[in-house]
Amino acid sequence: MATWTRASTTPEAGLAELGLPGYAGHWRLARDRFLAHRLAVASVAVLLLLVILVLVGPILSPYDPEHTNLNLRYESPSPAHIMGTDSLGRDLLTRIMFGGRVSLTIGVLAMAVAITLGVLMGGLAGFYGGVTDAVLMRFVDMMLSFPRLFLLILFSVFFGGRFLTVVLLLGALSWMGVSRLIRASFLSLRERQFVEAARALGVPGWLIMLRHLLPNAMAPIIVAATLGIATAIIAESTLSFLGLGIQPPTPSWGNMLKDAQTDMVIAPWTAVFPGLAIFVTVVAINFIGDGLRDALDPQHVIRSARR
Amino acid sequence: MPRMRALFIAMAALVGLGACGGGAGGPASQTPVKGGTLTVAVWQEPNTLYPYYATQTVSTLVSETALEGLVQVTPEGNYQPVLAKEVPTTANGGLKLSSDGKRMDVTYHLRPGLKWADGQNVSSDDIRFTWQAIMKDPKVTSRGGYDQMTSIDTPDPLTAVVHYGSIYAAYASRFSSSAGQPVLPRHVLEKEADISKSDFVRMPFGTGPFRITEFKSADHITAERNPNYREAGKPYLDRIIFRSVPSREVALAQLKAGEVGAMWNLLEAQLPELGKQSDIKVHAVPGPSVERLEFNLAKPGNPADAAVPHPVLGDGNVRHALVLATPKKQLIDKLLFGKATVAQSTISIGWAAPRDVRQEDYDPTRAKRLLDQAGWAPGADGIRVKNGVRASLKITTTTGDKIREEIEQVLIDEWRQIGVALEVSNVPSSVLFGSWSANAPRKKGNFDVNMYASSPDIDPHETVAQRFACDNIPRPENSGAGFNYYRYCDAQTDQLIQQAGSIVDQDKRKQLYATIMKRVNDAHISVWLYNRSNIDAYRFNVGGYKDNGWDNFTWNTQDWFVTKK
Amino acid sequence: MSRYASRRLVQALPLLLGISVASFLIINAVPGGPLSAYENAPGVTPLDLQRLEHQLGLDQPLYLRYVTWLTHVVTGDWGYSYATQQPVLAMIGERLPNTLYLMGTVYVVTLLLAIPLGVLTAVRQYTWFDHLFTGLSFAGLSMPTFWLGLLLIIVLGLTLRLFPLGGMATPGADFDPFDRLWHLVLPVATLSLVGIAHYSRYLRASMLETLNQDYIRTARAKGLTYRSAVFRHALRNAALPLVTIAALDLPELFVGALVTEQIFGWPGMGRLFWDSATRSDYPVLMGILAVSSTLIVLANLAADLAYGYMDPRIHYS
Repeated sequence: MATWTRASTTPEAGLAELGLPGYAGHWRLARDRFLAHRLAVASVAVLLLLVILVLVGPILSPYDPEHTNLNLRYESPSPAHIMGTDSLGRDLLTRIMFGGRVSLTIGVLAMAVAITLGVLMGGLAGFYGGVTDAVLMRFVDMMLSFPRLFLLILFSVFFGGRFLTVVLLLGALSWMGVSRLIRASFLSLRERQFVEAARALGVPGWLIMLRHLLPNAMAPIIVAATLGIATAIIAESTLSFLGLGIQPPTPSWGNMLKDAQTDMVIAPWTAVFPGLAIFVTVVAINFIGDGLRDALDPQHVIRSARR
Repeated sequence: MPRMRALFIAMAALVGLGACGGGAGGPASQTPVKGGTLTVAVWQEPNTLYPYYATQTVSTLVSETALEGLVQVTPEGNYQPVLAKEVPTTANGGLKLSSDGKRMDVTYHLRPGLKWADGQNVSSDDIRFTWQAIMKDPKVTSRGGYDQMTSIDTPDPLTAVVHYGSIYAAYASRFSSSAGQPVLPRHVLEKEADISKSDFVRMPFGTGPFRITEFKSADHITAERNPNYREAGKPYLDRIIFRSVPSREVALAQLKAGEVGAMWNLLEAQLPELGKQSDIKVHAVPGPSVERLEFNLAKPGNPADAAVPHPVLGDGNVRHALVLATPKKQLIDKLLFGKATVAQSTISIGWAAPRDVRQEDYDPTRAKRLLDQAGWAPGADGIRVKNGVRASLKITTTTGDKIREEIEQVLIDEWRQIGVALEVSNVPSSVLFGSWSANAPRKKGNFDVNMYASSPDIDPHETVAQRFACDNIPRPENSGAGFNYYRYCDAQTDQLIQQAGSIVDQDKRKQLYATIMKRVNDAHISVWLYNRSNIDAYRFNVGGYKDNGWDNFTWNTQDWFVTKK
Repeated sequence: MSRYASRRLVQALPLLLGISVASFLIINAVPGGPLSAYENAPGVTPLDLQRLEHQLGLDQPLYLRYVTWLTHVVTGDWGYSYATQQPVLAMIGERLPNTLYLMGTVYVVTLLLAIPLGVLTAVRQYTWFDHLFTGLSFAGLSMPTFWLGLLLIIVLGLTLRLFPLGGMATPGADFDPFDRLWHLVLPVATLSLVGIAHYSRYLRASMLETLNQDYIRTARAKGLTYRSAVFRHALRNAALPLVTIAALDLPELFVGALVTEQIFGWPGMGRLFWDSATRSDYPVLMGILAVSSTLIVLANLAADLAYGYMDPRIHYS
């Protein structure tokens, strides 16, 4: 029988839908909805495994990721070297684990920079409106009109491949989307009565934004943050692939792939494994992001039947 | 039986002769075949084919088939005449010094009967025109030497007398095909107001065995036989097509498949792929290019003050130790597949190459001892410290160069073992080789160790003077002119350089350069890593080519031929 | 509407000007400069370098150089490349068709595959079909394009020898449409995968939202067939946001994909940009940036106009 159902917007009705008793609070509800997304849950497990591997693996590995051994170049995968060795005789698995630390850290930090900037810009624009909004949004437009990769390349050449500069660069070029999101969110939220009340009470603007508006806009921020990590990881790997990001000998998944470009004819494993690491991580993060979107956005359709 | 023995000896002799003849860098007994087309794969497209604008090797590679100079450099590193009848020397009266010894005249006699590819006669007016074109055109890459010429007289159509306003030691290397300085056709170019806007820069022609008839961007360049070429019966080939391929990998694939007959400039890393292939011949020819580690003797700054020594590299013992801690041979064997030779100075081949000047071999134990004795004691993390200064250095080379990055890794490892910390700080080549006004760190002295390759000219005068003389340290006072990036200053070396540049006796100059290089090596301002080879590959049915480290492999295309596959 | 468009166009001018100033400053701030190519040529003396610097106008103050560039550009003279001495417009003109050819094919392939996929996965939500393509979409979204390109080259080009290793056509061969097609396969596959994943997911979400709207339910209740509901009503409304995204992606057609062009040796705009950036070829860089930023601004405008045109609820004043 065809029934068109929509996920409810009040906690009580939603609970009734899911067959759960009592008032649960919307975070609990979100958690339950997240858990219903099987791929997201599986991805959390995978990501956790990856993080553990990346944190603990380097300590356990008997190999030094930077020590060269010119007699062991291009060894194919074997029991001694599970993923083989690269062009300087270094164990690939160890390098991937160390590289994971670098790539993941950059991903998280770059996302943090982007979110901070985005919330700041978008929040100010959305809350104050008027001239502030116009100016800030013009600025966002200008930033968006620059071809992103071009800027990335030019700045990377200028500032070099330091860890911090890569983080700041990636963050500084990806906050625009978040700012638009937050601006839209704040624009609608500021009309609400609790904001009016706070203003009447004389609460300063920044406090209103921080304590009242921000928590309510958390849902899109969380989703954007999660997906932002994935974007940042890919962006860092692209930069390093072009030779502008993290410099050797520090391994990062991107610069390992750069080396692999010339090696892949004689040693294809040097190209396969680092890319696989990026791929698995980013897929997992994307699924988690999808699950979070399902969980946190009450308007989002999560159930509908066919016909 | 005596007759059998004689036969046997005769055969052995023949085999011996054949082996000798075939090993000298060309295919063995193959008789030239007239006619045919040869396709050469080039993975980089030339920006221009006008040699005086060229900055890329591939430009002169192509233009050399069409344009020739008065002289050229042989594989042995000597000069030989091309359009000139003979190389001017004091002995044959071609070189005359003035009575006060301050000026000189060089006389060139052209071979009679030379014609341009369009049938016009070649005359000494063309030589004068070439000089004028170089001096008038603001876009030419280099005027070195030509700016020392005050005038050129042409007493008759076959004689040109070049008047120099000073003693220019490197006079013999001017108007040389190998330097990309050919004679230009006056009747074609004198009517052009701006040569860079003419067709000649894309489709030049001259006295060479071919003329460039087609330049299709990102596709191919065609060089057709020159019917007016001076050697009868040559060139053997009807045409050469330089095919533009997107990458070295594609070029190699095409060579293996037989779609092209020759390939320019392989990477060492591609050699294992070709190892088993019997229908392809690989030639690795040592060239003048020397890859080196360049130490900054001054404290890094923007700009650096040459009077303030580098906190770590200012100590000669540290530099000496670093020379000893560099495993040159191992780098060559493992990373370059043995296709390079250990370099001992900046002049690796040619008449001026000092035979007895060397740098010390890899000896890390001795390096450690040196540093211990010099007061650099290992700290808690193994890195040496002296007077509160940590032996920590940054090495800079061009990004995107795999072999250089690999060398950096090895150096990091090796130098860490003697207690010196090394960190990579690579930049794109446009930054490394950039100009003073654009804040390039090498010019400004804002680096510790640079790694790159540089080739001196066949005449080392310019290189040695620019790199080792005190005056040529880039400073604000001289607007950053000069190539003495080491910030090395030694009065006696200066004197020797001055001397070598002011006389024309080649043997005397050679001795002077040997002394200079010895002093430079003793100061350990540079680690001469290796002498890179130019690696080119040909299919078995291509013949006539001859290796020449001083020139492109197209230097003798008039002798090339293709036999049936 | 046209008043809105002209107003936006006028507003775009100061934006473009600002971008060109910022670009000029950034390019010139990069250490090195265009003379680096000359530095490496043997036999070059410091005197030569000084002369060349003057000849290229690099010894003039920054603002003067910018003003000179600007005045030349508006009169149609985009300058000459420092590296090749060719006119910048000619160089761009040479590369642009190659990029359009590649990116145009990618664009068409992407849309042709993404739209049906998006619709089908929405309509068959939660079936194996949906799960399969959702999985593949996530895979596509998560794959770094250069890795995919490398893998395709390794597997299909080197190991199986099914496709060429790079380039637009077999060098030296005459024009052959099949040869061209053969060379297109790998780069198009690399680039379109991400696009297909992205667009189909977007369309799917949009479709699902639309299909749940009341008016669809009403139409169905009134007897409209499912197929009709989907194609004549839901799709047209769901496609709206997709149109805006597709419009915003149009500049890619001209700007090219840098990394893919590198891997496949495609002589396009992306590679021209990279080559020019690495050798500080200012005139070409400014030319490319001018072209691409203009296109982005125009594409934004086109997206907004398209949205306004297609959605009758939106009025621009």
